[in-house]
Amino acid sequence: MAEKDSGNSINRRQFLKASGAASAIAGSAGLAMFGYAAGIDPRSYQGYQSFEGADQNFNREKWTVDEPTYQKVGKGIRPDARTEVIFDRRGYMMRAYKPGCTIDDMNDPLKSYYKENPRDFELDVLGIEEIMPKFRQDSVKYRDQFRLANAFSHAMSAVSPRHDSRPPGEADFPRARRGGTPPEPVSLKDPEMTSKLIKKVSHQFGSTLVGIAKLNPDWVYLHTHRGRGFDVDTPLEVPKHWEYAIAVGVPMSWDSMYANPNYGTSEDAYSRARIIAYRLASFIKQLGYAARPHVPGNSYDIMVPPILVDAGLGEQGRHSVVITPELGCNFRASIVTTNIPMKTDKPIDIGVQDFCSYCMICADNCPSNSITREGRIDVRGYRRWEIDKATCLNFWNSNLGPMGCRLCIASCPYTRKANWLHKTAFKVSLNDPTGLSDKALTSLQKSFYDAPDPQKYYIPSLGGENASYREPPWWLRSEDFIEF
Amino acid sequence: MQFFNSGFFWFIEGILLCIVIISFSSWMKEKNIPMPLWKWAAFIIWILFVGFTIAFIGTSFGENEANAAVKGGILFGIISIISGAGLWRLIITGARRA
Repeated sequence: MAEKDSGNSINRRQFLKASGAASAIAGSAGLAMFGYAAGIDPRSYQGYQSFEGADQNFNREKWTVDEPTYQKVGKGIRPDARTEVIFDRRGYMMRAYKPGCTIDDMNDPLKSYYKENPRDFELDVLGIEEIMPKFRQDSVKYRDQFRLANAFSHAMSAVSPRHDSRPPGEADFPRARRGGTPPEPVSLKDPEMTSKLIKKVSHQFGSTLVGIAKLNPDWVYLHTHRGRGFDVDTPLEVPKHWEYAIAVGVPMSWDSMYANPNYGTSEDAYSRARIIAYRLASFIKQLGYAARPHVPGNSYDIMVPPILVDAGLGEQGRHSVVITPELGCNFRASIVTTNIPMKTDKPIDIGVQDFCSYCMICADNCPSNSITREGRIDVRGYRRWEIDKATCLNFWNSNLGPMGCRLCIASCPYTRKANWLHKTAFKVSLNDPTGLSDKALTSLQKSFYDAPDPQKYYIPSLGGENASYREPPWWLRSEDFIEF
Repeated sequence: MQFFNSGFFWFIEGILLCIVIISFSSWMKEKNIPMPLWKWAAFIIWILFVGFTIAFIGTSFGENEANAAVKGGILFGIISIISGAGLWRLIITGARRA
């Protein structure tokens, strides 16, 4: 009997050993499959085509601060869109340009601007004389490779709300319908409840992120863009009913965004951000209040990034793009200015200013060296990071895919999909007051996540190889679908 | 693939971990190696780190970041092996004393 017990005992132990080994192997295989599934899971494409606000899931309460993380260092000076917005300036310049022209051949405001910033004149001329012809030359040669990417981008911009180009005194207020009188403003019970309502409907309209701020007049252009119902040469007086700014934001396609600069596009997010802003403005007007959408590409009377910061959606990074806890910087935004009384949000501090001071990954990956490696500078009375917009646009204009670059967005460590790995890294970084984990994670990012030599992003005529940060997704590889 | 993101997957994974721990416990008893709480804590931490390494490799491949999978796999794999060997020596040392 004792022998039999002993035999059973040995067998049980052997069974336990074998079970343990088998379980360890099965458990490891399961973890590998879990990891793989997490890596390819479309649910990690945070905010893309999501509704109901489920993806604005960062608890901002804990990280709010009284003052935004940019610093006011002097008297705020409102920007002149005609010269300080690179797209506008380059547009004016292209109309005024003649071969061999000098600064003295320009008219004001370009002339005065270029006198103060002669380097920008050289870069704008370089863009027109050298970059554009080389782009056209390579475009003919290589365009088929980017046929699907360009088609996707065009398709995404095909739907756009009808733009109201009347001045704000007319366009922003509710209109009388069918010969009646315009709706009177409804009496709202509580500003806090109104904020809640506005956020809820913004999410219902498709917005991933929404925040509310008091509009700082320093963010309103002194001279705004054309086509906004203003005489652009007359200084814009900030309308009294632009009291609040509602900021909404949606992500760009995660897959194509990682394949910037040649396969990514802003148009998908631009289009959705436009539609949301127009819907929101319409909703507010139906309640009898004034509302004006400021939407991408260039239909703004205001600067968007500082409003996103004021509204507590994120912080401005080294690359000048706002970094949010949910989407990193992979998003595009619209603003609605309004006078509907609301409770405003507070700005947040999630440690971006410290992180960006040493990370430098965006600067390392910027092919045109437009992102500074220096500290923050004082711009129009505010201390913040500033990029070189003229060199940035020159690179944009050389790309053969959908217009733009967005390499800084693709390479930013905050712009990562919402799976367990990156969410954990973000939480560790956020909750470590020493900053050591930030430095360790940045080192790992630099070591593990390689990127092409920045020169390779250029078109062949400019010494590059049409490289992308990551391989394009299968549905944008023209060569797999089209006979060339 | 949805199974691996489900709660049921983690239920199965939990059962497998329990079997590994019971099996390990039985093996230690067979070898007369005492397992105080700190050894169990160290063992569990090591198991979690190995699990992290495996999941990191899988996730990086899933994200099409093969370079990160290989480099991370090598770095974390080496750390797992060295720390595993160190932990084993600590456990064995206890056995000799016993």
